[in-house]
Amino acid sequence: MFLHNFLYEIKSSLRVRDLIFWLILFPMILGTFFKIAFGDLYEKQTKVSAIPTAIVETEQNEIFRSVVESVSKGDEPLLRAEYLSEEEALKKLGNDEIKGIIYTGDTITLTVAGDGVEQSVLKLFIEQYMTREKVITDTLASEPSKTQAVIAALSEEINTSEEAKLTEGNLDFYIQYFYNLIGMVAMYGSVTGLHVAIGQQANLSELGARKNCSATPKSVGILASLAGTWVVQSICMIICVSFTAFVLKVDYGDRLPFVYVAAVCGGILGVSFGFFIGSVGKMKQGAKVGICMSVSMALCFLSGLMVGNMKPIMAEKAPWFNNINPAALVTDSISALNLYSGYRVFITKVVTMLVISLIFYVLGLLMVRRRKYASL
Amino acid sequence: MENTVVKIDNLVKRYGELVALDHFSLEIKEGEIFGLLGPNGSGKTTTINCLLSLLSFDKGNIEIFGRKMTPVSYDIKKDIGIIMQNVVVSEELTVRENIDYFCGLYITDKKLRAQYVDEAIKFVGLEDFTKFYPKKLSGGLLRRLNIACGIAHKPKLIILDEPTVAVDPQSRNKILEGIQELNRSGVTIIYTSHYMEEVEQICTRIAIMDKGRKVAEGTKDELKRMIKNTETISIEVLGLGEDILAEMRALPHVYDVKYDEKMLVVSCSGGKHNLIRALDVLQKHEIGFGRVYSELPTLNEVFLEITGKALRDKED
Repeated sequence: MFLHNFLYEIKSSLRVRDLIFWLILFPMILGTFFKIAFGDLYEKQTKVSAIPTAIVETEQNEIFRSVVESVSKGDEPLLRAEYLSEEEALKKLGNDEIKGIIYTGDTITLTVAGDGVEQSVLKLFIEQYMTREKVITDTLASEPSKTQAVIAALSEEINTSEEAKLTEGNLDFYIQYFYNLIGMVAMYGSVTGLHVAIGQQANLSELGARKNCSATPKSVGILASLAGTWVVQSICMIICVSFTAFVLKVDYGDRLPFVYVAAVCGGILGVSFGFFIGSVGKMKQGAKVGICMSVSMALCFLSGLMVGNMKPIMAEKAPWFNNINPAALVTDSISALNLYSGYRVFITKVVTMLVISLIFYVLGLLMVRRRKYASL
Repeated sequence: MENTVVKIDNLVKRYGELVALDHFSLEIKEGEIFGLLGPNGSGKTTTINCLLSLLSFDKGNIEIFGRKMTPVSYDIKKDIGIIMQNVVVSEELTVRENIDYFCGLYITDKKLRAQYVDEAIKFVGLEDFTKFYPKKLSGGLLRRLNIACGIAHKPKLIILDEPTVAVDPQSRNKILEGIQELNRSGVTIIYTSHYMEEVEQICTRIAIMDKGRKVAEGTKDELKRMIKNTETISIEVLGLGEDILAEMRALPHVYDVKYDEKMLVVSCSGGKHNLIRALDVLQKHEIGFGRVYSELPTLNEVFLEITGKALRDKED
């Protein structure tokens, strides 16, 4: 009975057009869009000459100073930085002698006087720095000896040099969007998990009522459906990673198999989240799908899918949240593969995903295990 | 002595203040087509849901095949087929796959299942539609698919909850014939409906429900004998005076006479030649008449007399 339910779950899921679109086609379209948008920007970034920039230090920031120093030297420096007072800096910006002013303080801010490739690159540089700042401060706290290497890696990444990376991974800023894309596909899996929960409960769906009348034990039905959904979700995750890696030529570094592992675990986490939502309360299916999608998109937003510097903002304002945000866990686990030479952070993130999944599944199962209902 | 297949004893089900089943008891014997008849909201579907252990109840006991029915009575459930009020099939599976899927919830042997699925397809006449998806089927064909999904595993007890709602006459007849054929093969059937003609046509025994209570039970003849009316005579006639109406009322076995200027309705209780006697009165007074009807009581009249209201909702 398990195998019968399992196979039919896979068969029917793979025929749901909405699922095919949102879990396979939409990520392909969005990924292609990212590639066109950010790939082009990245290309331009590599071609511009050193950008004249003023730095106004409202507070001294040694890490930022080190990074600026690193990106201002070499054969192809990114910045031609000079430390000025705010008044001098604004005057030079007004005369178009510099392209932007970077203020260092509690947060790093940028002021530019117009639009253009150089201004975009400066913006990208600041975003990238803010994304990586937490890594640097974490490294300072945990492995101070590697701090210089991290700073160098960050600087070299901006300068598109391959020499000083900690790993053979890709540290390009725009690749974060592809990590977030994988996180989004994982979170979309919540809808399939939701359908499993609803399809097993007599008080939420007629199909659930029908199954409850059958000779198949409820536990067997639920586990078979969940297993089928995991397989389908994993297929979608694998397609997403493969498409970005082999068609869009996104460089995930030399640890691609682990990217697949992270993506599949993320998919299982997404399904578990939907299963949990589907198990709670007696709301109609449409309302639950709405909740699922809204929460998923909100989590993706907070992990930086729509706004690139959202992640560092969250890391600064609510660092604990990034450690439990399912979408952020997916992106962080893949990101860790490219940032750290070891696997400690990667394993921590993947284990966290699996633990959260387990919690969602156990809570969901506790709620759907009921076999008799007060009303239908 | 026939075996008892279903025994419901003193069942009480409340939804807050509303009593959906009020000390409801029932016994269904093997080989019966048992009709549960009642208007919408009378408690038919609630009874079925309690019977299937989907709904909890406040009081009472349910036994199927002589064993107490619980949500984990999978050995009992394997011999029950359920055809729900609404069509419950997967939109992503073809006709054949749907039947195979539901059959597989009961039958693990793949070879046997394939044989059962073929038989079910043939039984409901969907041979030409096996590769169709449900959305491509008409309402009648969908109902047939729903039935096939419920009976493919060859259950000993089949519960049909209003299976002909919104079905065209041709499909309805096919469904009713199918139910009788299943019954002839030894299957016990529980059939709920608010279509009295269907219940009257196929059921060997009937329980009439109203407001969660069983108000009458028996064969259709037994039920009809429970009420006063045995024959209703309707005659199209103009210009009847009060004297003639009084003469009609005085006829033997007549207990009620109504006249609305063009239609005379005479209600009789017992007697054999009531129509002839009524027409004799008109001929004696040389009064011409149009069409004449003599009707035996329907279950609707049974229901009307027992509960004081019509069985069917107006919109039905």
